[in-house]
Amino acid sequence: MVGGYATAPLQNGDTILLPERIGELTGLDGFGVGGELLATFLAAFVIGNLMLAMTGVAGPWAKRKITAAFTDRIAVNRLGPGGIFIILADAVRLLSKELVVPENADRPAYDLAPIVVAGSALLGFAVIPMGSGVHLADPEVGLAYVFAVSGIASLGLVMAGYSSANKYSLIGGLRAVAQNIAYEIPLVVTGMSVVIFAGTLQMSEIVAAQAEPLVSFAGLDIPRWYALVNPFAFVLFLVANFAEVGRNPFDTPEAPTEIVAGYQTEYSSVYFVLIYLGEFLHIFLGGGIIATIFLGGPAGPGPAALGIVWFIVKIWAIFLLTQWLRSAVPRVRIDQLIEIGWKGLLVLSFANLILTAVIVGVLA
Amino acid sequence: MSEQRQREPKGIDPEYDHLREDGVDEERLESLLSEYTLRRDEHENAPGFVIRPDDVQEVLALLRDEAGFDHLSCLTPQEYEDRYESILHLTKYANRTHEVTLVVQLPKHEPVCQTAEPVFRTADWHEREAFDLVGIEYEGHPDPRRILLPESWQGHPLTLDYDQEKPQVVSYTEHANPIQPDHREAESDTMFLNIGPHHPATHGVLHLETVLDGETVVDVDPDIGYLHRCEEQMCQNGTYRHQIIPYADRWDYTANLPNEWAVARAIEDLADIEVPEYAQILRTMSVEFGRMLGHFLAVSTFALDVYGDFTAIFQYGMRDREVVQDILEDLTGQRMMFYFFRLGGVAWDLPEPREEWIEKCRDFLDELPSKVDEYHDLLTGNEIFQLRTINTGVLEPEVAKDYGCTGPVARGSGIDYDVRRDDPYGYYDELEWDVVTEDGCDNHARVLVRLREVEESAKIIEQCLDLLEDWPEDERTVQSNVPRTLKPDAGTETYRTVEIAKGELGVYVRSDGSNSPARFKIRSPCFHNLSALPEMANGEYVADLIASLGSLDIVLGSVDR
Repeated sequence: MVGGYATAPLQNGDTILLPERIGELTGLDGFGVGGELLATFLAAFVIGNLMLAMTGVAGPWAKRKITAAFTDRIAVNRLGPGGIFIILADAVRLLSKELVVPENADRPAYDLAPIVVAGSALLGFAVIPMGSGVHLADPEVGLAYVFAVSGIASLGLVMAGYSSANKYSLIGGLRAVAQNIAYEIPLVVTGMSVVIFAGTLQMSEIVAAQAEPLVSFAGLDIPRWYALVNPFAFVLFLVANFAEVGRNPFDTPEAPTEIVAGYQTEYSSVYFVLIYLGEFLHIFLGGGIIATIFLGGPAGPGPAALGIVWFIVKIWAIFLLTQWLRSAVPRVRIDQLIEIGWKGLLVLSFANLILTAVIVGVLA
Repeated sequence: MSEQRQREPKGIDPEYDHLREDGVDEERLESLLSEYTLRRDEHENAPGFVIRPDDVQEVLALLRDEAGFDHLSCLTPQEYEDRYESILHLTKYANRTHEVTLVVQLPKHEPVCQTAEPVFRTADWHEREAFDLVGIEYEGHPDPRRILLPESWQGHPLTLDYDQEKPQVVSYTEHANPIQPDHREAESDTMFLNIGPHHPATHGVLHLETVLDGETVVDVDPDIGYLHRCEEQMCQNGTYRHQIIPYADRWDYTANLPNEWAVARAIEDLADIEVPEYAQILRTMSVEFGRMLGHFLAVSTFALDVYGDFTAIFQYGMRDREVVQDILEDLTGQRMMFYFFRLGGVAWDLPEPREEWIEKCRDFLDELPSKVDEYHDLLTGNEIFQLRTINTGVLEPEVAKDYGCTGPVARGSGIDYDVRRDDPYGYYDELEWDVVTEDGCDNHARVLVRLREVEESAKIIEQCLDLLEDWPEDERTVQSNVPRTLKPDAGTETYRTVEIAKGELGVYVRSDGSNSPARFKIRSPCFHNLSALPEMANGEYVADLIASLGSLDIVLGSVDR
């Protein structure tokens, strides 16, 4: 496996998914459907925990350190090197807090909302090829699936908003819906322009299509990443994605200082952790989608076995960008946000679709 | 101790703090008010006229329309042994040294006065406070509720026969319940929302009773008083010499030093205390540092309201504030409650070695322009920030005057009014600096005013440092001789104002011949600036309500006193 950009880590046809590999390694594939199922569960367990571990690092530690760097501070530095063990301390702290449930909360919905928010994001990672063989499933409608499941999160936000019996939560929940509807359409339409390029919805194929060199000079190959082929679509998708995950300048559903904490105002202890987990997972899922359809997925210099490393680097780059915006960019007002979504991004995303069709037509 | 540093006063300019040469034309006023004047009253700061309780509106309208007195700076209610008095302190936005005082004397058994609210909107809150604390009723007042104390409070704390020992036993049912389950009227499609008293954007304990129609603010009613400590009474219990100025630090606690001057100025005027020129320079310089403290915090917390999280710009504000605090700590020995002012001067000279401290200040001032540029890059130059702040929270100049708005709030509405220049005190009129105004009338203009005022403060400090550096060593008198026990003549009363970071802070003092004031009244700029909030927020989005509140830069310690 001699590396380089030219080597696609997941070649069409010979894709080996994680469950199959686990089945082979453990010998579970000899046990028929039951073994296959168990292998799939194991694979899902591995991928889920990988993502949760990343969130665990990001939430209590990395976010603090990054924000501190932007704002001239030091942040956590007492426990362990660079304060990294604050993760453990925070885990204990958050889990041992009292769970306060409002008297008038609409119980099943109130309890389900955090699980829906966190779960929907985790589901999305199932179809994302992370390189080094870490890829749970590769359905033909991968991209549509990922948009669909990440859209479920809005449901969780509405549930959290109305079931908390708090007016701030209600406003936050309503804002979340308005925002997600306004930005999901440009997001999907912009995603479609990638489909036009790649000619498929299958994630592995989209990655493979980006592996070929776009141009090459002085022996250096510039890969055919769609961010480079169509930067316009890339920027549109980035912007819509920030609204989709509710981060500055589009964090109106939470809007601290305005509506306290929006839909999550009444959540404490483990529920709070779950909602926050869901938010971070969504940022990472957004990063994962961007990395997959615009940044060549796990592609990068070095052997293909390093794919997962490159993939995580790309996700964290997107995460870093959200934190940068959070530190430096004000929040738009809700009416401005809706206006930008419907009058700006939607129009631009359709323009981009037509542009893409023309480019593809000319290239063909 | 400060007393040991006292030396023979040198270089004192007795007229310095009493520049009244272009005062109001008394004869013209007398003839204008001849029909209404019962008799004249003696006030140190302005000609006083005693008028009838039912002539208040007419006289105010006459003074406003015929003589240009468009600023009802303060309303002082008080109780004497034989009567109540409601004193109106009027002045002009265009000419601060033109002052007139209207005294309404009310019988003991029935303290009822005509309301001034139809002429000056700002009288609304003034009169509510007067009713709350002293018990004077204002006939025709549109909203005669208590303002600082709870609705259910019994008695009026600043009356002479008020029993402080008596417990306030009030059952919970007598209180308005802010969390009662349903505020909704049948058929209404609005939502009642309590913003505060515990809310991230109220910058303290402020409660906004808000009615929302979707995201739009239909009505907002500020409910204040959570931090009320009856500072006025505490000041009345203290002695002039040392026990009042420290309280001033507790009013606007984000920029304390300018407050101290308000007290010092009023008492010095009352007792004819002179301040050495050298001390005036020290005062001027330290107060401008104090103003910077306030403005850095105002801009950074406003950014917090618009950005929504502890962001870079907030930390920039904290970073620069920290440097100023270090400088003031070296100067005063304190980081928050400075108590640097003494009657007749200040507590100490510059810390030794002087050169080192002056160097430290100069370093800060040298770096300031680049830091202010950072604010403009990150904050006022940001397109989204402009989208959020320009044309939101609009406060028209006429409305601002009606509500008695002062300070950066008024200057952001294009009102060229600054007590430092218009009624000069300290060393201000010897120095080169400008009053900053912006015509935007919106949230953006108020931020710009504050940022530009930081630069003006820097100019003032720089000139003061030059003066201090070259001041002859044997003429550095930091305090004049002030009697240890100060007993101004009985019956003298005065109302003096200074410009603090938030606007015009006024202090009314009346002496009864003892060594503590018989009446001490504080006119807080935050109080009046906040009263204009409904004008700025009604009909706007709830996000802009929060931004407008932030741009008013209120400090609840100063609002509630």
